[in-house]
Amino acid sequence: MFSRLIGGSKMLLGLHKPRRSLKIWPDDIFLVSFPKSGNTWTRFLIANLVFPDAPVGFKNIHKLVPDPYGTSKRDMERMARPRIIKSHECFEPRYPRVMYIVRDPRDVVISQYHYHRKCKKIEDGYPMEKFVDRFVAGDTCPHGSWGENVGTWLTARHNDPRFLLLKYEDMVADTQRELGRVAAFVGIKADSERIAKAVERSSADRMRKLERAQADECGLTKDSRKDLSFVRAAKSGSWQKDLSEPLVAKIEDAWPQLMVFLGYKLVTRETAGQPAEFSSLVSSGV
Amino acid sequence: MIYGLKRVIKYVLGTDIAGRNLAVFPDDTFIVSYPRSGNTWTRFLVANLVYPDQAVTFANIEQLIPDSEAMSSRYVKRIPRPRIIKSHQYFDPRYGKIIYIVRDPRDVALSYYDFARKYRQIENDYPLTSFASDFVAGRLSSSDWGTWGENVASWLYTRGSQPQFLLLRYEDMLRDTEAELGKISRLLGMEATPERLRTAIERSSAERMRRLEADQGDQWVSTKNKRSDIPFVRTASSGLWKEKLPASSALEIESAWGPLMRELGYSLTTNRGEYGTAVESPELVKEHR
Repeated sequence: MFSRLIGGSKMLLGLHKPRRSLKIWPDDIFLVSFPKSGNTWTRFLIANLVFPDAPVGFKNIHKLVPDPYGTSKRDMERMARPRIIKSHECFEPRYPRVMYIVRDPRDVVISQYHYHRKCKKIEDGYPMEKFVDRFVAGDTCPHGSWGENVGTWLTARHNDPRFLLLKYEDMVADTQRELGRVAAFVGIKADSERIAKAVERSSADRMRKLERAQADECGLTKDSRKDLSFVRAAKSGSWQKDLSEPLVAKIEDAWPQLMVFLGYKLVTRETAGQPAEFSSLVSSGV
Repeated sequence: MIYGLKRVIKYVLGTDIAGRNLAVFPDDTFIVSYPRSGNTWTRFLVANLVYPDQAVTFANIEQLIPDSEAMSSRYVKRIPRPRIIKSHQYFDPRYGKIIYIVRDPRDVALSYYDFARKYRQIENDYPLTSFASDFVAGRLSSSDWGTWGENVASWLYTRGSQPQFLLLRYEDMLRDTEAELGKISRLLGMEATPERLRTAIERSSAERMRRLEADQGDQWVSTKNKRSDIPFVRTASSGLWKEKLPASSALEIESAWGPLMRELGYSLTTNRGEYGTAVESPELVKEHR
């Protein structure tokens, strides 16, 4: 009761984080991904694209591309519309339009491992094998397993005009082109110069510098270890040297069809039958 | 600032509806389904099975198996553990043990139509064909739970072949209630004798539930202040859509969710080639996590 009173006073002022109670507007656009899949980089890309005159950094990103778990209700409601909102939720039927970023789960697990070290959720010497087991079981974050998160979205929305699928690997390989797809989806007329500028301003180098300067002013990095950085390698494929074969096999055995469907080639096993076909399972009547 | 006052007071008092914000415990069991798929019947079956010494009625069902979509977060929090909770949610990774009931969407549409009239969500003479279109397109007041296809697929895809997930078809429950309730008792870790199963089934018969509704409809959160000329407990049958649902509406439903329906064993009236390639995906549902 007492904690609810404090919570209630915060609510009255709109200072609480809306989380799952976020009031969704029909023109909202969501940027969704499983954690550690390039979401923050994409937030920076979008913020720099949409607000070319704002000094986009870690200390104000939550007001530009807000996070219902990190931005207050008041700030969420005072934003210019249409809002572009960050999220890690599994399939949410209430989200009107969604950009979904997917990343090779073999890289995601490594990135999440380091993130957990940074957040002091695991010790430095925590066995990778144990972490991979937990990752496969969906026990490393509150947003389902990688397969549940990706799979529920693809099952419900793949090939739907309200859904844009982005691959982190494509974004690394050709950021300009992929940000162009984002701009078209969001409805921003951006020439290649404006896109190039947003890409430049969101470079890993620049983000690392911003992180160093503003780490204490951002919910993403506050209270975490400063000797490890939030912005990491910004590369794809590092699992090939950082993940032992048995661990690669564990991940590939968990989601073979989904990985093949997304173009993540399996190296420890044969592909099981046909790749999954998502577009046909649930098509909406819209 | 003032406009949110009511919500804030509800939050402080804990009288906000639990819904998607329900606090989940690891020992919870959920009875999940899209609306109008036999959830209330299943609640009665389970309540009568688990609490054989109580007379299960509409007046006390919320204390035994609370409805997280209708009851407050404080109410559901105070239910003694381990809890069995009713829900209509689409996939929620926090749910552990799950009984998921699925029903032929063509029958669901028909049942939902009566329900929407009972709840005064639509006028009495709103055309059934328009309602079926709303149902397919996710324009119903329940669309926050996803469409039928989204709700079903989100669970099947993620949990379809896990031991903690029990998929029941409403049609099978009607045909052989004892066998299906036996599966539920095993999921709950109970050793239920055939006699105990049969007693629970008898006490949850459609006839008995209709009588209870007639007596207690004004005491139950889900029927209070709703039209009493349309019953909540309806025909308790399957396949009524063949008679009552216009062919065009059945077709609309089938073209939205044909592959999923087939995978669940609901045969389609149409056999058009466009479904031909998509059907061979049972593996999709099997692959999980």
